[in-house]
Amino acid sequence: MIKISALEKVYRTEEVETVALNKLSFEVRDGEFVAVMGPSGCGKSTLLNILGLLDDPDAGSFLFNGIEVAHFNERKRADLRKHNIGFVFQSFNLIDELTVFENVELPLIYTGVKPAERKKRVEEVLDKVQIMHRRNHYPQQLSGGQQQRVAVARAVVNQPKLILADEPTGNLDSSNGNEVMQLLTDLNEQGTTIVMVTHSEHDARYSHRIIRMLDGQTVTENINSLL
Amino acid sequence: MLRNYFKTAWRSLLHNKVFSIINLAGLTVGLVCFMLLAIWLRHEMSYDRFHEKSDRLYMAYNKATLDNQVNCWESSPSPLGPALKAEFPEIDQMVRTTGEQFLFAYGKLALNGSCFITDSSFLSMFSFPLLQGDKYTALRDAHGVVITETFAKKMFGNENPMNKTVKINNTTNFTVTGVLKELPANTVFGFDYLLPWSFLNEMGWDRQYWGNNAFRTYVTLKPDASVDAVNKKIAGITRKHSGGHEKVDVFLYPLSQYHLHNKFAEGHPAGGRIEIVNLFIAVAFSILLIACINFMNLSTARSEKRAREVGVRKVVGAGKSGLVLQFLLESMLLAITSFVLAIVLVTLLLPAFSQLTRQQLHIDFAHPFIWLLGAGATLLTGLLAGSYPAFYLSSFKPIVVLKQKIVTGKASVTPRKVLVVTQFACSTVFIIATIVIYFQIRYAQNRDAGYNRDNIVYAGLSGQLGDKFDAVKNDLLTSGAAVAVCKTNQSLDNARSNSWGLNWPGKDPNANIVFDMMATTGDFEKTFDIKMTLGRAIDGKNFPTDSTACMLNESAVKAMGLKQPLGVLIDKDFVKWHVVGVFKDFVWGSPLDVTKPMMIEGADWSNIINIRLNPARSTQASLAAIGNIFKAYNPDYPFEYNFLDEKYARKFRDVQMMGTMAKLFAALTIFISCIGLLGLASFTAVQRSREIGIRKVLGASVQNIVLLLSKEFLWLIAIAFAVALPVAWYMMNGWLLQYNYRIGLSWWMFAAGGTALLLIAFGSVSYQAIRAAVTNPVKTLKTE
Repeated sequence: MIKISALEKVYRTEEVETVALNKLSFEVRDGEFVAVMGPSGCGKSTLLNILGLLDDPDAGSFLFNGIEVAHFNERKRADLRKHNIGFVFQSFNLIDELTVFENVELPLIYTGVKPAERKKRVEEVLDKVQIMHRRNHYPQQLSGGQQQRVAVARAVVNQPKLILADEPTGNLDSSNGNEVMQLLTDLNEQGTTIVMVTHSEHDARYSHRIIRMLDGQTVTENINSLL
Repeated sequence: MLRNYFKTAWRSLLHNKVFSIINLAGLTVGLVCFMLLAIWLRHEMSYDRFHEKSDRLYMAYNKATLDNQVNCWESSPSPLGPALKAEFPEIDQMVRTTGEQFLFAYGKLALNGSCFITDSSFLSMFSFPLLQGDKYTALRDAHGVVITETFAKKMFGNENPMNKTVKINNTTNFTVTGVLKELPANTVFGFDYLLPWSFLNEMGWDRQYWGNNAFRTYVTLKPDASVDAVNKKIAGITRKHSGGHEKVDVFLYPLSQYHLHNKFAEGHPAGGRIEIVNLFIAVAFSILLIACINFMNLSTARSEKRAREVGVRKVVGAGKSGLVLQFLLESMLLAITSFVLAIVLVTLLLPAFSQLTRQQLHIDFAHPFIWLLGAGATLLTGLLAGSYPAFYLSSFKPIVVLKQKIVTGKASVTPRKVLVVTQFACSTVFIIATIVIYFQIRYAQNRDAGYNRDNIVYAGLSGQLGDKFDAVKNDLLTSGAAVAVCKTNQSLDNARSNSWGLNWPGKDPNANIVFDMMATTGDFEKTFDIKMTLGRAIDGKNFPTDSTACMLNESAVKAMGLKQPLGVLIDKDFVKWHVVGVFKDFVWGSPLDVTKPMMIEGADWSNIINIRLNPARSTQASLAAIGNIFKAYNPDYPFEYNFLDEKYARKFRDVQMMGTMAKLFAALTIFISCIGLLGLASFTAVQRSREIGIRKVLGASVQNIVLLLSKEFLWLIAIAFAVALPVAWYMMNGWLLQYNYRIGLSWWMFAAGGTALLLIAFGSVSYQAIRAAVTNPVKTLKTE
């Protein structure tokens, strides 16, 4: 599904030049659950942004489903993104002014799904993450774990092929964290590819493969020993 | 999709109450001002455009070179109209008018009414609809009178006035041949009733003299005629008929232009009331702009919060255009809510505003104007206010706003600073304008008028009062009600007569001085407390030859270059007037103008009686006594009088209206700007709460923090002041130039304006600053 080779990204300010990605290469196959780990500043988030088509690399190749997307313009990237990729953030990023239902419905609105179909799909996915009973609540009225479950529901409602999760349990206590990780595992078992950035060795154990990064490069890549 | 946008917009407005209230208040006030001004301006611009023949209606103007200046004026001689109609086939219709005050009596009721004596085609030339009678014949009858609805109500109550016999001027019986619908408010014409031109002949007042510019002449052109071509042909008509004696050119000027464009300079239209109208159009738009700026500033100031929403929406698939639409919808929603509030407020405030502008303003909800205006203003407001935030917010990159805080450092607020400067520059200009107008009014009001206007009443010499003036005067003085009485041909509050082409020995042949002209028979100086500086005053009682005597004011003596004015013979209207005295200048025309050369003749063609009341008696008692004396001579006439000081005060009405409007709009502009600043300051305070906390922990005092937070705003105010200074100077200098009697602009007026603004702005900023400064740092540092 994803094949990147010799990917480079450099951030420049007036005084400093920071190499975020240094000729990074790896592959993620369909249906895989990959964890990316590494210390702060190693380039994990930059990598995730590029994989999510939120940012573009300075050099290198990025094949998404066999198509070269490294130099897609904003419009094409947005289009590819909304049909294929779902995001889960550490800080949930739900819209305060919208209810649980409406937050989850949002991606479907932007992809032009008809209202009746939207209702059906949102309810399905809310059921799946077991938050149906709070469908008319606003994000502030939910616990952190519940908010993240809504965020996961929002990420998968469009049935994306790929979910990018950026420290999904970073703001949760361990029991809520485990619930979210279980949810991701379930999704993976149903066929969704997942790339997750995490600091947590515990969370990484849910994955099939761990990519460890340092200074913009892959240091080790190992099949998860627990599997 | 749209529904989702609406929902988000609506909830976002509900969620951020302070933000919404500030914006709603600002936009509503802005829209109210805008709509009130628009209603007023529309009214001003609609004057005499309702006539069916409006595009063919013209007034005859005269043009002549006097005092080395080309002057234009709209009064014309009686023979002009008929001559125009007879000699030029392009002229379709002709109507002359002259205004008079006559007693109008029906049965026992008698009222002084103002009338127009006019030609019979008046009703078919102008579109003043008749409720009863026929517009083609109503004024054909030599003794037919057409009255207005309101005057008919006063005179006849609920009786049908048609064909009733009334007595006019206490001499002649007329039959009511028509009733006019109430005159609209947007016409320059004003009268209670119309009399046929033949009545002027009947009274022997219609002099076929081309030098007597006592009338107005209106014409309609044939539909295919070009006014420029006609003006070329008619220019010399007065010279031709007067045998070259009257050196004036005639031209036609559109009636629809008269109300707003009736000032001429060097023979060409040079503005007029339109200048005030344009000024207030600018004011209306600046107030709306200032209100929109609040929205822009506050929307971008809280962009940090909205940025996350933008990021999320983009991540889940929103395009930029969709987001722009969403934010525009939000500002539109606010603008529409403001519009609804504004309509209510405008309806409530319109009566007060009508009083202020002295116009009968009303909103016609059935007419599309108000809705088009409202929709236009709302759309404009929504777009103007919403566009900058919409493009600004929708341009956020999701990775930036979702992962880290957006940069709110110094560079990112530059457009906002520009907007704040714009707002406060406008406010400063308004404050300075208010100050300058206030001092100009005060200066003119405190001007020594040159006579004592207190305790003087004047009245028309109607009925027997004129014929038996000496007896009336004697009765008034012996009754103890009056201490001095004189008659004049005009009242002292209104300069409406002038003359030129006068000659005297030693006159500079190139000079053509325009004199203000008045006539009296004696006791003028006693009645008005006017100081004679040379010779004596006119005194027809003791000097019978004073019927051809005259007095000059000091300005006239100076302008004429007379070394020995006494005894000089002045040639005017084929009479040689001998100068018997010189009086100190007094204000006759506008107190905002310099005194013009003036000549007072001893001729007895007076029609006004001026009475100085006895200061030892109560005004009430004196007026009662005067009323009894008048009634004795004129039993059929009502006793009507004017107080001179009240009339004098009216001269300031226009300039006072300007002053009140400037004050009002300055206050509102400042209000809107300040609530915007308040909002901005509160956002800054919240945004910097962590920084403030850290500073406090490190030992900063409350004063340090207040200064820190206020400083950047005060800087902006200072820049705004610098921007406003030249604009205000330019505007107010231009405004003052229209008055010949005026103050000079002083530095302290500008300084006062700047200081006032600074204090007001500091007040609104420091409240937030102090609040932020006294917050316990533990709270702000913990919540981060």
